[in-house]
Amino acid sequence: MSLNAKSVQKDFPRAGKNSNVFTAVHPIDFNLQPGKIIEITGRSGSGKSTLLNMLSGILKPTSGQVLLDGTDLYTLDDNELSRLRNKNIGLIPQGHTALLGLSILENVMLPAILYSSSPAPRDRAMELLTQVRLEEMANEKPNELSGGELRRMAVARALLMSSQYILADEPTAGLDEENILSVMNLLRKTADNGSAVLLVTHEQEAARFADEILTMDGGRFI
Amino acid sequence: MLTLKNLPVKNLNSYPGRTIAMLIFAGLMSAAVFGGMLIIRGLRQGLESVQSRLGADILVTPEDADNDFDAQTFLIQAEPGYFYMDASKLDQIRAVEGVETASPQMFLASATSSCCSAKLQIIAFDPDTDFTIQPWIRETFHGAQKLGKMDVIVGANVTVYDDHILRLYNNDCRVIGQFAPTGYSLDNAVYTDFETIKVLITSSFDTKLNKYQPFNTEDVISSVLVRVKNGYDAGDVANKIKNSVSGLNTTATKSMVSKIADSLSSISTSVHVFTIVILFVGALMTILIFLMMINERTREFASLRAMGASRNILSYIVIGEAVFINLLGGLIGIIASAVVIIGFSGVIREKLGIGFTPPSPRHIIIPAFFGIVVALLAAVAACLAAVKRVNRLDVSLVLKEGE
Repeated sequence: MSLNAKSVQKDFPRAGKNSNVFTAVHPIDFNLQPGKIIEITGRSGSGKSTLLNMLSGILKPTSGQVLLDGTDLYTLDDNELSRLRNKNIGLIPQGHTALLGLSILENVMLPAILYSSSPAPRDRAMELLTQVRLEEMANEKPNELSGGELRRMAVARALLMSSQYILADEPTAGLDEENILSVMNLLRKTADNGSAVLLVTHEQEAARFADEILTMDGGRFI
Repeated sequence: MLTLKNLPVKNLNSYPGRTIAMLIFAGLMSAAVFGGMLIIRGLRQGLESVQSRLGADILVTPEDADNDFDAQTFLIQAEPGYFYMDASKLDQIRAVEGVETASPQMFLASATSSCCSAKLQIIAFDPDTDFTIQPWIRETFHGAQKLGKMDVIVGANVTVYDDHILRLYNNDCRVIGQFAPTGYSLDNAVYTDFETIKVLITSSFDTKLNKYQPFNTEDVISSVLVRVKNGYDAGDVANKIKNSVSGLNTTATKSMVSKIADSLSSISTSVHVFTIVILFVGALMTILIFLMMINERTREFASLRAMGASRNILSYIVIGEAVFINLLGGLIGIIASAVVIIGFSGVIREKLGIGFTPPSPRHIIIPAFFGIVVALLAAVAACLAAVKRVNRLDVSLVLKEGE
């Protein structure tokens, strides 16, 4: 079980007539290990989120490979890659990611119904909502929740499928101290249960939950 | 329960304003197509029906009946009227070259007084020679209905309140059947044979409600329906009748319906233009509103991708939303349109000025099918643009932009 980045690099075209490209991530090797939380810190624009997105299979690297159990994610077709991500990668993106037409509970259950006609795992979803202290909001619609509550909902949703890999981009952004602790405890517990967790964060408090801390600057680890 | 199948409907619930707007436009499109087809079909059916009911090539009336009979408006807005001519004219007409069959009719109008159930046009035919009303009777009642003494058959618009009895000049006439609607003035008449109408005419003299002085009912007829021989032109034969028998007016029945056919043609053109405009505006609005709705939800679609939804799943959701909303809107449009057209067929007939018969349920299926197809085509058009937009999403960029 492994999720590796091999010499992954990401260039973005610059706006403007005489533009070249902007390299967000210079060639990097990276290995996500089961049972561990790896925290990546760094200033805004240092390439943390770009690396996380490449690892999660939603941003194709300009060069290099992302290997999940030996399979290069970006050689798969869209259906194969999507199924693989749904099963193996729990992604907590930045910002609000709720579907407004669904209740909070339904939002959490969503990954489970994409490829399965079995009833959605309601009990598991409620258990996760309880762990992020949202059980009383389960039947509310997203527009009735605060930004912090929606972040916690996204954490619960990423953990629903008990994925091998949890990739979290600023999961504690906008949370108060009490909720930061509950989210970090949950991620720690997930890692202790054998998942590999990548945590991209500015949060100082997160450091004491991480097994390894890496810092990025200018698209490189320093 | 949350499933991928009901996800499109749940998504639509979160945008009620736009969902309702799309429902309205889908409903308008299907209503325009369905309603337009229904109206044109109803008008054609009315015209075909009246053509077959007239059955004759020439209608001969007395020259002095001009105040009571206008061939151009007779089928559409005839007031009950009656007039008579000498019965001997019948043999003279039969003798004219080109006449194959000639059958007399007698008319009477009932009165709006206590002697009569209502003011109605009464038309009597001669069972021995009639070739217009008896085929209609055979067709409607499958040959089973025979008119006995004081029996009548009523048109579709004649209401009979008292246990199949129609009171005409203090005579209780037994109503033995009712014709299907034609959409024309034929629906307002009461049909009987010569024996019965002679009794009614005599009674009308007794009640002093007949505009004429008493006469011998054996000596008069009101009109003669003529069928011409093969190879003869109805107009030519009509002229020959007029020239060889004095005191008559002749009308080629073709000319009676040609004005109606012209009106139908111009109404059809208007309905087609109206339908095309509605379709164009409706389809455009459906596409625009749907694209706006999809654009507003790019972050939702990016989130679905982030949790592992493939492009196919995203397409399924988008298509599901468009098809569901257009199908529902289409059905609503068809039902509303059917209710209005069938429920207000009398008003439509009055406003259009020509006969209209609401098509039977059997004939509603094809227009309903086309109404739904049009709504679904609009859904497909909306989907094509929306699916393209959703499948081109740069997921990482959208999730970052929304922050």
